[in-house]
Amino acid sequence: MTVRDPLTGLTGFTDIKAPLTEIEQPPFEIPRTIPKLRYFLQAALALEFLTIPPYLTAMYTIKPGTNQEAWYSLRAVVLEEMLHMTLVANLLNAVGGTPVVADPRFVTDYPAKLPYAREQVPIALRGFGREAIRTGLWIERPEKLEDLPRTGKEPDPRGWTSIGQFYATIRAGMRGLSEKHPDLFDGDPGRQVGPEDFYNSGGRAFPVTDLASALEAIELISEQGEGVPGSIYNPDDRLFGQAKELAHYFRFMEVHEERRYGPLDTPASGPTGPALPIDWSAAYRIDPQAKVADYPVGSEVRQAAEHFNLVYARLLWLLDLSFNGEPKQLQAAVPVMLELRDLALQLYANPHPDPAKAARGVHASATFEITGAELSAAKAELDAGVGATALLASLA
Amino acid sequence: MTTGVPLTATALASAATPDAPPAAPPAKDVDRFVRLSVALTGFDAFELHGTGLAEFYLRTVVAQVGRPAYDDLRKALEQAGLDPEKLEGDVHQDLARAVAHLWYLGVWPPLSAAVHAELRRQVANDAFTVAPEAYVQGLVWRTFHGHPQGAKAPGFGTWAAPPPGEPELPQPGRPVRGHGGKTGGGR
Amino acid sequence: MSPARDLDGHRYDVIVVGAGWAGSLVAKRLGSQGWRVLVLEAGTTTLDTWAGHLDAMNTFYSSLIKVPNAPYRANTAAPSPSVLDTVPGKDGHGYQALGYLVQDGPLPYGTDYLRAGGGTGMHWLGLTPRMLPQDFKVRTQFGYGRDWPIGYDDLQHWYCEAEREIGVAGDAAEQTEEIGLPFPEGYVFPMHEIPSSYVDRVMAKHLNGKTVFDSCTDEPVELRVVNTPHGRNSTPNPAYDGGRGFRPQDAVGLPNYGERCVGNASCTPICPVQAKYNPLKTQAQWSRKVTLVDRAVVSRVLVADNGRVTGVEYQAYDDPATPVATTRTVEADVVVVAAHAIESARLLLASELANSSDQVGRNLMDHPVMLAWGLMPHQVGPFRGPGSTSAFERFRMGESRREHSPWRLVIANWGWTWAAGSPGSDVAEMLGIPDSPFKPRGKARYGPALREQLGDRIGRQVAFQFELEQDAQPGNRVTIDRRHRDALGNCRPILSYDLSDHVKKGMRAALDVSHQIFELLGAEERTRYTSDAPSYFEYEGTGYTFNGAGHGCGTHVMGDDRKTSVVDQWQRSWDHANLYLVGCGSMPSIGTSNPSLTMAALALRSVERIHQDLTELHRPLVLRPTPGYAHPTEARP
Repeated sequence: MTVRDPLTGLTGFTDIKAPLTEIEQPPFEIPRTIPKLRYFLQAALALEFLTIPPYLTAMYTIKPGTNQEAWYSLRAVVLEEMLHMTLVANLLNAVGGTPVVADPRFVTDYPAKLPYAREQVPIALRGFGREAIRTGLWIERPEKLEDLPRTGKEPDPRGWTSIGQFYATIRAGMRGLSEKHPDLFDGDPGRQVGPEDFYNSGGRAFPVTDLASALEAIELISEQGEGVPGSIYNPDDRLFGQAKELAHYFRFMEVHEERRYGPLDTPASGPTGPALPIDWSAAYRIDPQAKVADYPVGSEVRQAAEHFNLVYARLLWLLDLSFNGEPKQLQAAVPVMLELRDLALQLYANPHPDPAKAARGVHASATFEITGAELSAAKAELDAGVGATALLASLA
Repeated sequence: MTTGVPLTATALASAATPDAPPAAPPAKDVDRFVRLSVALTGFDAFELHGTGLAEFYLRTVVAQVGRPAYDDLRKALEQAGLDPEKLEGDVHQDLARAVAHLWYLGVWPPLSAAVHAELRRQVANDAFTVAPEAYVQGLVWRTFHGHPQGAKAPGFGTWAAPPPGEPELPQPGRPVRGHGGKTGGGR
Repeated sequence: MSPARDLDGHRYDVIVVGAGWAGSLVAKRLGSQGWRVLVLEAGTTTLDTWAGHLDAMNTFYSSLIKVPNAPYRANTAAPSPSVLDTVPGKDGHGYQALGYLVQDGPLPYGTDYLRAGGGTGMHWLGLTPRMLPQDFKVRTQFGYGRDWPIGYDDLQHWYCEAEREIGVAGDAAEQTEEIGLPFPEGYVFPMHEIPSSYVDRVMAKHLNGKTVFDSCTDEPVELRVVNTPHGRNSTPNPAYDGGRGFRPQDAVGLPNYGERCVGNASCTPICPVQAKYNPLKTQAQWSRKVTLVDRAVVSRVLVADNGRVTGVEYQAYDDPATPVATTRTVEADVVVVAAHAIESARLLLASELANSSDQVGRNLMDHPVMLAWGLMPHQVGPFRGPGSTSAFERFRMGESRREHSPWRLVIANWGWTWAAGSPGSDVAEMLGIPDSPFKPRGKARYGPALREQLGDRIGRQVAFQFELEQDAQPGNRVTIDRRHRDALGNCRPILSYDLSDHVKKGMRAALDVSHQIFELLGAEERTRYTSDAPSYFEYEGTGYTFNGAGHGCGTHVMGDDRKTSVVDQWQRSWDHANLYLVGCGSMPSIGTSNPSLTMAALALRSVERIHQDLTELHRPLVLRPTPGYAHPTEARP
């Protein structure tokens, strides 16, 4: 497969030969029925979620203690993606939907294609490096003005070229539906995740209860990723009274360019501020298409990679519960994320069990593979009180 | 819009797994060091590699006591079937202690004065943390399912959960501790 | 920030000496009221950027002994004491003081502080219990120490304000029920309580409702594990502030970070995510009216013939490693000295100011901390969470205070780290590595045995901190002597310190309580006080050692009589009406609480009075005869 890099028109991401996995998608158009709107919001939930493992992989393959500035940039992006996912769940719940998380149809394998993306750009689990950063740039790139759907005008049925377009399409549908259905936002408010259950990450979660809060959520998601139109900053200073912060695209650009944005920089100027030192070699090199099956059965790496996926499945269940009526479970999800971090860091620090790959300096990976088997095992563990549910009870 | 990204086809072609960096100690050396460290520490090879510091520790040991003394220790342990109990001689025993100490705490300890003299070491016989990251990767915290103080934080409220194998216990204090409507008294 | 040397001859409304906790709060409030405030900091201000914070983290990781000042860079121009400065005496008895503090008292003063932007508040543990109403009246009620000129009710509003500035997490209802603390009707803290640790829960399971006896008074004391209020981000309480809720303050230098404690378990000496309050968070809220100048060591407060202070003289230096300084002066209408109890006293003594009462430097206090430690029969999950999340509070109150010092009995979450240097000491012991290369080595355990035995030992560690109230004694004091100077030529503090029999008797009673508690826990008691420790002393045939709590108090105590106190209830010098001495130094009794919250409340209360003073000074001139200047408190009914 050859992919044209949308930033420059050059071909790129040529290393991925495997077909990309993707979730089922009905045609791309402005959603004009409530079920269709819910479906699009579920696709948006999947989209936000799909971006997290690649960003985490880039972050956790940085050798500990090195590339600290890049590490904190990635961290900020990851936490804002988690906020986006939560806000999308709030949107979906607000319109009476049922967010699906712990389901292999939702969590696809990698390399994956983002739902409704026009181009076949592989979203892969790449170690920290320019390719990983370019993946982030592709995901977060600002929308071009000419690509914005005009009011009521159908989007390009081939899909979006920026996530902002995707959300603009959802927004158009939501506006139209709210005129036809005054009770559009009648979802159970008890299913909303608020600031008590989620914060510490790029602004605060807030409940979606009407069109105004829905539009605010969409605006926040688009602009934290791509920036306030014409600016390199996200809207947090306006929405949350915080210090000015870069939108994701521009954070990635800083790392890519190894240079900070200066106070007067714009999207067009690129970063012209102080140097941002990056040591591209201070990262564990991994196979971006690694699978558990690559590791010999019974080996320590195999066991650890399988264990990682099991804990990952537990996280999915906790998120699923959080978005389906038990928002307090989000508190319990955080320790599980941190447990995943520890397991992932150990994996990346281990040489690949295949001696030939190890000789080339390739390390083991966390593979983020989810099947029905992992999910049911994790569910059984949770029901038996292992891990975070019990913790949550003790915190209550 | 201008993106400012100077992509070139060459850069994009060098995807996936680039060429290996110049090797420091050969991987085989590191593997042998990890094997003897497994015997000394009781942690398996995955856990030791998982610190990311195996190669650095090997270099540290060699820098501290010299290649010959390290090789002697390694051979002695290998000949003893990797059973540290069978190590003989003050030098071997003290170096074994030091290697285990290094893994557990990230700190190179002082050797016994006699061993220090016998090895004719050219460095001060002082304890030091070999790298900031070495403290963070100390194994001692894992022995009781903890985490190093100041790193690898396990998340809000985790300190309330029991360690493995112990029962859940309630929050002390008043029996009903819902978060709604609780206020200070007006005395 | 202006370079320190460019200020020569400038004039401000207020000069604040010290960019620590009290100074940062005073500057924030006065700046937001529109006053032009200059804050002079003796140390460096590297900690308010993320790069500076990460440097401190790496210094912390690398330090062999992780004492409170371990993460913070040494500074020759503005040296700080370290708890490692007091070492055993030459003949194996007594102590020697090797560092910045000169000590000549019977016992060592083991408390440190930090001279850098943020001050000692960078390494506080993060506990914010309020003082008890009875703590303000110990002389009247219990016959020891000194009374305050104000009481709990005078501070109620300011406690609430301080809890807002710090962002306190706690359970106000429990504080009322268990300790009897009054709060305004319907009050909740800004955030819900920090969850009690598993160690706390084990304690509660074994001890809640059980009774121990005070061996001095035979008084029974019921044991209750009570959650402690924290200056640490927890879950915001939507009911706070009449339903307006609370937004936690994030890290300084890295937005969206540290909005909730994640359990790094290193509050002292440094919170990696800055979920714990520190004064830099207050500085981040300063208005543009506030100017901070670092590397400016105030060497004198300047006074005019009419008794009013006119400004300060300070030494500006560039390189903390090369103590070369230029002396400058700067003027203001009001000078606020907020430099830590010991440094503020030192500055006043060097300036020969404010001391008509002869009380400057006297009444130096701390909470002497007696440690007790043991091994539980099962794993308790130590070394997790904040250093302490709960305490037994009932030893703070009641008639026993007449007989001996009261104490907060603090449950430690970090095993024997303070008591015995765990877990490093456990590793060394199991490997047979003694504390000196010249001592014989023991047999080492290796492999799975080493791993399992270490886990078994460390996982069962419990410890208690008995934090005793120290009564104000005029003989416990800070002095200066021109023979003892630092690199810039400033006089170093000379400390004379001892524990009264009231405190020693308290330790005896505390030790007896610890025996009873270990018995009830079924724990193996491991407390050992060794005679070669610097703080070792014997009392009625039993040996004790104690540690500093980092709670330096006294030295410019407040009172209602200018003949016996240094400042009035507003922390204003009796001798100089426009000189304020703000900080723990003003506390006439240290009470039974960690003092930071009370210090913050006092500072905020003083701001109101400083604002009034400045407003009066800047009132438009009225052309009619006015009475001569009177001290404002005397002028008011």
